[in-house]
Amino acid sequence: MSMDKPVLELVDIHKRFGSAVALAGASLTLRAGEAHALMGANGAGKSTLMNILGGILQRSEGQIRLGGTAIEIASPRDARRHGISFVHQELNMLPSMTVAENVLIDELPTQGGFVSRKRMRERVAAILERLGCRFSPDDTVETLGMGDRQMVEVARALASDPRILIFDEPTSSLSEREKRRLFEVIGRLKAAGTAVVYITHFLDEIFETCERVTVMRNGQTVTSGPLADYRPHDIVTHMLGDVKLEERLRPPRAPEGEPVLEVDRISRQGALDGVSFRLHPGEIVGLWGLLGSGRTEILRALVGLDGLDEGAIRLRKDGRLQPVAPGDLHAEVGFVTEDRRGEGLLLPLPVASNISFANFDKVLGPLGLIDRKRERRFGEAFAERLKIKLHAISQPVRTLSGGNQQKVVFARWLGTAPRLFFLDEPTRGLDVGAKGEILKLTAALAEGGASVLLASSELEEMMSLCDRYLIVQRGRIVGELPGTADKETLMQALSGPGTGA
Amino acid sequence: MLALTAEDRGALLRKAVVVLVPLVVALALLAVMQWQAPNFFRPNNLINILVQTSSLGVMAIGMCIVMIGGGIDLSIPANMAFSAVIGALAMRWGVPVGIAVMLLTGAGIGLFNGVAVAIFGMTPFVVTLATMTVVGGATVWITNSQSISDFPEIFFDIMLARPGGIPVSVIILLVVAVIASMVMSSTVFGRWLYAVGLNPKAARVARVPLERVLLLTYVISGLLAGLAAAMLTARLGSASANLGNDGVVLDIVSACVVGGISIYGGSGRPIGAVLGALFIILIGNSLNQLGVSYFMNLVVKGVAIVAFICLDRITAGRAR
Repeated sequence: MSMDKPVLELVDIHKRFGSAVALAGASLTLRAGEAHALMGANGAGKSTLMNILGGILQRSEGQIRLGGTAIEIASPRDARRHGISFVHQELNMLPSMTVAENVLIDELPTQGGFVSRKRMRERVAAILERLGCRFSPDDTVETLGMGDRQMVEVARALASDPRILIFDEPTSSLSEREKRRLFEVIGRLKAAGTAVVYITHFLDEIFETCERVTVMRNGQTVTSGPLADYRPHDIVTHMLGDVKLEERLRPPRAPEGEPVLEVDRISRQGALDGVSFRLHPGEIVGLWGLLGSGRTEILRALVGLDGLDEGAIRLRKDGRLQPVAPGDLHAEVGFVTEDRRGEGLLLPLPVASNISFANFDKVLGPLGLIDRKRERRFGEAFAERLKIKLHAISQPVRTLSGGNQQKVVFARWLGTAPRLFFLDEPTRGLDVGAKGEILKLTAALAEGGASVLLASSELEEMMSLCDRYLIVQRGRIVGELPGTADKETLMQALSGPGTGA
Repeated sequence: MLALTAEDRGALLRKAVVVLVPLVVALALLAVMQWQAPNFFRPNNLINILVQTSSLGVMAIGMCIVMIGGGIDLSIPANMAFSAVIGALAMRWGVPVGIAVMLLTGAGIGLFNGVAVAIFGMTPFVVTLATMTVVGGATVWITNSQSISDFPEIFFDIMLARPGGIPVSVIILLVVAVIASMVMSSTVFGRWLYAVGLNPKAARVARVPLERVLLLTYVISGLLAGLAAAMLTARLGSASANLGNDGVVLDIVSACVVGGISIYGGSGRPIGAVLGALFIILIGNSLNQLGVSYFMNLVVKGVAIVAFICLDRITAGRAR
């Protein structure tokens, strides 16, 4: 039932932050009564584009047209005035207040200066009915389940009677049943003529709910059209871009020797579901899945940073596999987190002391006190070996470039000479040169006999290193591919039938 | 290679401000005293200032260690009074027993705080506020609001001695300060603690045993409260619930904040807490000599806390 005249057009939008380019020609055309999927890998520019649409950011170039006329969106208030509304991924609720209060929090109806509960209740009841919700406007939000809370968020967005409604990863915390209900609601909104933008990482969902799709990559719109013209695998290809098949850093090899680590059906409610695999010495195993598939969760759960409900981990010790608690496994693993600045490093501290964490036993002096001279030498040895560019080993690690910061993270773990390395997006935010160096370093780890678990969104990176791939979808390992698998096969694996990230 | 970036220069400047402001205020105060109340500079008064600083300084070091870990221990004064009273009751079995009981009682209550905060994840502010109330109440109840003052002479002989003219309590403060400085700058525990205060998530990833480190900070602050109990009991000649009056917690927090210990955790040094304590006592003592009311004194301290937290906010905000 789509009408042909676009409701909203974002035309050739550019956005620069200083010298950094966030958007370089992003376009999006919305039609009334249609759901439009906005896809893109992390950092593709989806959020920037939506922030411009929401009036949070101002574009550097380009045009926004509403019903054919050019408009300015100077503030979130402006966006609302133009009928643009958001359903956010993070539920920003006031749990101890009622549904009605949450829905109308920014425009509470008043009478004589006091909030009119009656009018508030009536308005919200009407919205809830439109959504097919069964809870009452007087319920407090904290008594509702996740799915109902999501509905409150939708109701809040609908309170301003928007013509354009943006859903930002609405299903990330919903159960299957709650998801069905959300899709029904989206169907009703479409029927009522609302234009819906649907942002998600789950491919199956867009084929279920959307009519059109726009794919972004590196701040640009790379393709856009009716979903019927695409196969899931086309969308993945557009998202990831042309994978330049670089030289492998080392030839893939079959697992050999006794396994070092055995993971046996580890599960955590809502995140991991019976994940099992083995790691052999000297191999690089890729966890291959889209963002949100559970690859990060697997790594974090193994070292005890997040809890586990079930399952066992066994580590080879004294010649046999022995059960080990995640917290204890942490002591055997060099763990490189995806959040280098937030979790990987202690930014204000000197490079030397960042490296000596986990290595204090090697820098102690006679009295059991830290010997600063030894600490410096220890750090300097690694700085030299990894070619970390710095002017003094005592400078705060915050002042190094991203690539050099990441090398400091590697240096810390190399110092402990672990048998296992877990690397989560180790090249995120690095320039090409630094990327290459980190990848070479990773290959060298495996050459040295360590087992590496690698998670990355960049296919070319994975393909230059991995000896085999574990395919991760929705917190489960759904398959395994050999290191010789080609790009087609790997992309296909992400978009297999009836699957999502 | 020593060229400083604009950012480095800014950081240095802010650091300088943090050190200079208290220094300038203190010097100005001393100048006023020289002019208005020359009695202030009599050796007796100066020694008195150091002695007053000693017990406050010991408690401030305890608070400093808790604060570096990102917590706060409001129960220090109440803990100190409680330990003083329990220890005083134990003096009947001898001075060493009495002092040991003071230290152990303090550490025990610190352990309770530590378990609640580090193991059960409760909010430090609330836990130690509750401990403060419970322990404070218990102290009044046990003593029936009376002072306990019959101690063996030997207790005073030891604690009030002045070897080489320096009071024992000042020596205790110096020793505690030196040990604490070494612990914080050169032990694994010290490094761990700064890491926990700076960024608990990063500390966890770097294999820091978070819970153990945090627990220990509260035990240390409790132990130092017990030590302060012995120092103060000796100086005042009696132990009572009033040792831990409300003004003391304000003084401890002021000392730490003035001494450059960040209430956001992760930065500050024990020596700062000691100098902060000296600064607070100096203000109190000089306002007293000038005949300013005790209550005005409270106003000045309160204002100082807010001013320094504001300074801390400005400097810490940039550093992260």
